[in-house]
Amino acid sequence: MMQFFGETRIDFIRLRWKAITFSAVFILAGIVSMLIKGGPKYGVDFLGGTVIQVHFPQAPNIGDVRQALANAGYGDIEIKTFGAANEILLRAEKQEEGTAISDAVMNALRQAFPQNAPEERLVESVGPKIGRELRTAAIWATLISLALILIYVSFRFEFIFAAGAVIALFHDVMVTLSFFSLLDMEVNLTVVAAFLTIVGFSLNDTIVVMDRIRENRRIHRDATIEQLINLSVNQTLGRTVITSLTVFTVVLILLFFGGDVIYNFAFAMTVGVIAGVYSTVYIAAPVVVEWHKKAEIQKIRRGVKVA
Amino acid sequence: MRRNNLLRTIIIVLAIVWSLWQLYPTFIVGRQKKEAENYLVHIEQQTGLQRDEINEALNAGQLESRIRQRLHDKSAENVQAVMKEAASLIALHDKISKNDAKTIKRGLDLQGGTYLVYEVNLPKLMRDVAKNKDTRFEEIMKKLDEVAAAPNADYFAALQAEFSDADIRLNRYFGSRAQTDAQIIDELRKEADDAIDRNLEILRNRIDQFGVSEPSITKQGSRRVVVELAGITDKNRAKNIIGKTALLEFNLVKDPQIFQDVITKIDNLLKRDLAAKPDTGAAVDTSATDSTGASGKVSQDKAVNVSDLFAGSSIVPSDSAAGAADSVQVDKDIFSGNPFISLLRDVGRSEVAVPAKNVRAVERILNNPEVQKLIPPDAEFAWSNKPEKVADEQYHYLYLLKKEAELTGALLTDAQQQIASGAGMTRQGEWTVSMQMNDEGTKIFSRVTGANVNKRLGIVLDNKVVMAPNIKEKIPGGSASIEGNMNADEAKDLAIVLRAGSLQAPMQAIEERTVGPSLGQDSISKGTWSAVISLILVMLFMAIYYKLSGVLADAALVLNLVMLLACMAFLKATLTLPGIAGIILTIGMAVDANVLILERIREELRAGKTVRTSIEAGYGRAFWTIFDSNITTLLTALVLYQFGTGPIKGFAVTLMFGITVSMFTAIVMTRVVYDYVTRRYNLKTLSI
Repeated sequence: MMQFFGETRIDFIRLRWKAITFSAVFILAGIVSMLIKGGPKYGVDFLGGTVIQVHFPQAPNIGDVRQALANAGYGDIEIKTFGAANEILLRAEKQEEGTAISDAVMNALRQAFPQNAPEERLVESVGPKIGRELRTAAIWATLISLALILIYVSFRFEFIFAAGAVIALFHDVMVTLSFFSLLDMEVNLTVVAAFLTIVGFSLNDTIVVMDRIRENRRIHRDATIEQLINLSVNQTLGRTVITSLTVFTVVLILLFFGGDVIYNFAFAMTVGVIAGVYSTVYIAAPVVVEWHKKAEIQKIRRGVKVA
Repeated sequence: MRRNNLLRTIIIVLAIVWSLWQLYPTFIVGRQKKEAENYLVHIEQQTGLQRDEINEALNAGQLESRIRQRLHDKSAENVQAVMKEAASLIALHDKISKNDAKTIKRGLDLQGGTYLVYEVNLPKLMRDVAKNKDTRFEEIMKKLDEVAAAPNADYFAALQAEFSDADIRLNRYFGSRAQTDAQIIDELRKEADDAIDRNLEILRNRIDQFGVSEPSITKQGSRRVVVELAGITDKNRAKNIIGKTALLEFNLVKDPQIFQDVITKIDNLLKRDLAAKPDTGAAVDTSATDSTGASGKVSQDKAVNVSDLFAGSSIVPSDSAAGAADSVQVDKDIFSGNPFISLLRDVGRSEVAVPAKNVRAVERILNNPEVQKLIPPDAEFAWSNKPEKVADEQYHYLYLLKKEAELTGALLTDAQQQIASGAGMTRQGEWTVSMQMNDEGTKIFSRVTGANVNKRLGIVLDNKVVMAPNIKEKIPGGSASIEGNMNADEAKDLAIVLRAGSLQAPMQAIEERTVGPSLGQDSISKGTWSAVISLILVMLFMAIYYKLSGVLADAALVLNLVMLLACMAFLKATLTLPGIAGIILTIGMAVDANVLILERIREELRAGKTVRTSIEAGYGRAFWTIFDSNITTLLTALVLYQFGTGPIKGFAVTLMFGITVSMFTAIVMTRVVYDYVTRRYNLKTLSI
């Protein structure tokens, strides 16, 4: 039997305060960076604007591209190469309603480079109204899925488990969002899709552990909550590591081989998968521990009063 | 137990057979297309027909007659050989189109295409239907534009609120006098709803005629239309056809004398206005010397900036937004003498031309309420639709038209693009669009032309004058044609929009997502490679770590993928790039169920239980864990499906199917194999 871990007895819970501090500091750094930058760096999906990816047969002179756009009245378009030197990314921020800008820009480029005919690889043009709608929808989608999970888990387990799980999920999303802000990466629709997937995946982990806690509680009736959690986490450690490895493998492959279009998605998934495994042990479980301790203390206090 | 397993085996076998049957068209169609390609190349070489021509004939079922027509001078033997290939191609073509409908549909981001969202421009529609518009109306409407820009704002409720805030009853501008505000709002709402439905129909018509294969045109909410065009080569043209309102009107051109009077009156008004506030002198002088020094023109020719000239004028507000476009240099002396006329040019042919650089300034003057009062109530100004180059400068023409149209494009029965024979005003070889009117239109057209001989009739498209020919004689036949430097595509597109009719409400594109075909191909190959590498790595890992049990889990994984794709083909779900990402994630996550079971079996084995009881306990204990964890992922996928747009929906779909199918393959299928093996061989140890 090939095994990474035999029967382990690692005291995970002992490290919880250090872990929580670590997470808190990191998320705080993310929040500070978002505050300084005025929110997450939204892509055109949420901000409104136009992105055009243009492919030239030969690498053009960026100055010429800038000149051609300025002549057409689009001097304020941001121009940068994208991967290769003949792959140009144009970005026009905030615009009025209407998507005519992409046509005008492409026409200007075609006229300016007749010998080096540019090809339109990708256009994303989102009016400010749709941008606002998508932003609202994304926030609602995240909140609704968290609420649904809270309801389902409290229905299947108990409320405190659900609360622990949801706090852990919130932690995962915040950590990923912080990463994006600190690395100055763009948050677009696919990244939000990644957030929701992270929520789903991270919950898998949490539920597996909680399921085990529930089972162990029936077997070891006199164990403390710390002991129960430690035991359960250790017992499911093999599974956690294997599944996380397979998922981590595929998201890494997506990150490296999936192409530019889904790079941000894959990046969010990569961060999220790590955060998801970590948060099960170090965020969800401690919430349950602390809650139980408080409940115990209250029970004792009440007992004292009655006596 | 035994009978139960038999049932399960049957279900599994049926599921596999069903899946393969669903996927068969997807597998076979690629090879058929390759085969068809061979025939196509051959027929191309043999007949000299273009690829497009062959495809067109193929779709119309006229390939054989087309080839025969082409090869009429060739020997019978030659023709025979080509005809045989043509017959094979036709048979193959039928098969391909049948199979194509059953393959997994690829999203626009994979096959290349454009996704467009259009929204009815309610502010414009309301301005169009309003009557007795005045400055007060414009003020309220401007305020309303800001209010209605908020997401999910109810435009009509806002409209009602804004007008009642301003203490104005709606019947002043909309509906009839006897109606209450609530009635008018209801009516306007209904008008907008009807307009969008009609628009949808007209758009279908236009796009059909434009010739896009399998366009998708759907209504989204109550105000939006989503148009999805796959693999089109000329996106700009398509967008132009879709977005154009295409309201065709025939308006008589006002007498040149009236035009002249109006212009003179405007000129005088501006002169008085500027004289009343002569405080711009200094600014004008400096800018004048600066620019004349550089240009070295004749001394009096002092060029100044139009914005500066109008700086003291109340008629022409010099707002900063328009400032950039107003860096127009005009002669100062002429300007102070004739502030308006100096912006215009006489280029002969009794046309009033405006240099392109002056257009913005002229527009602003004409829009001023004071100036508007000088225009006869039954007339309005209109621009030509295209600038014309005269002696190195671009000019737009300005027309004064009778406000009320004599007849509109609604009375057309047909419109066709044609190459001019050179008989009329157009030169030979130029493209024109000829129009045919219905009985009513013919009658009106005949009367109007008869009564206005030697006057000019403007053909106006979307408030721009396309041409304004002189009426030479009464035209009784109800046919007219539009001329004026169009190329073949423009003529064809104009004919299409005229045939399909004008949109009932103006629309604007508020979202566009285009993926070029090469990027789509790139995404497919990158996605496929990522999936293959992921699959190999995960399978290898499982086989090494769990040995034969791992191999069984691998089999379940492969079956999971096959069934996932089969479900997508069956439900006609669309595969997108995020969808492929979803499949890859499924590869990573689907083994989780097996990992849970296998880890549990290992635990039981370690506890010293027999193989058979360990397996039983493993499956039994792991089931609810798997169930709970998968349900929650399903929940998030469901939310994602609800919230996401096209590509994201594709992701949610693959994730949902992947998870659901994995529960079946991981729990049911592997279990049957274990049961069979343990009973048959009475295992003492398990390869795990």
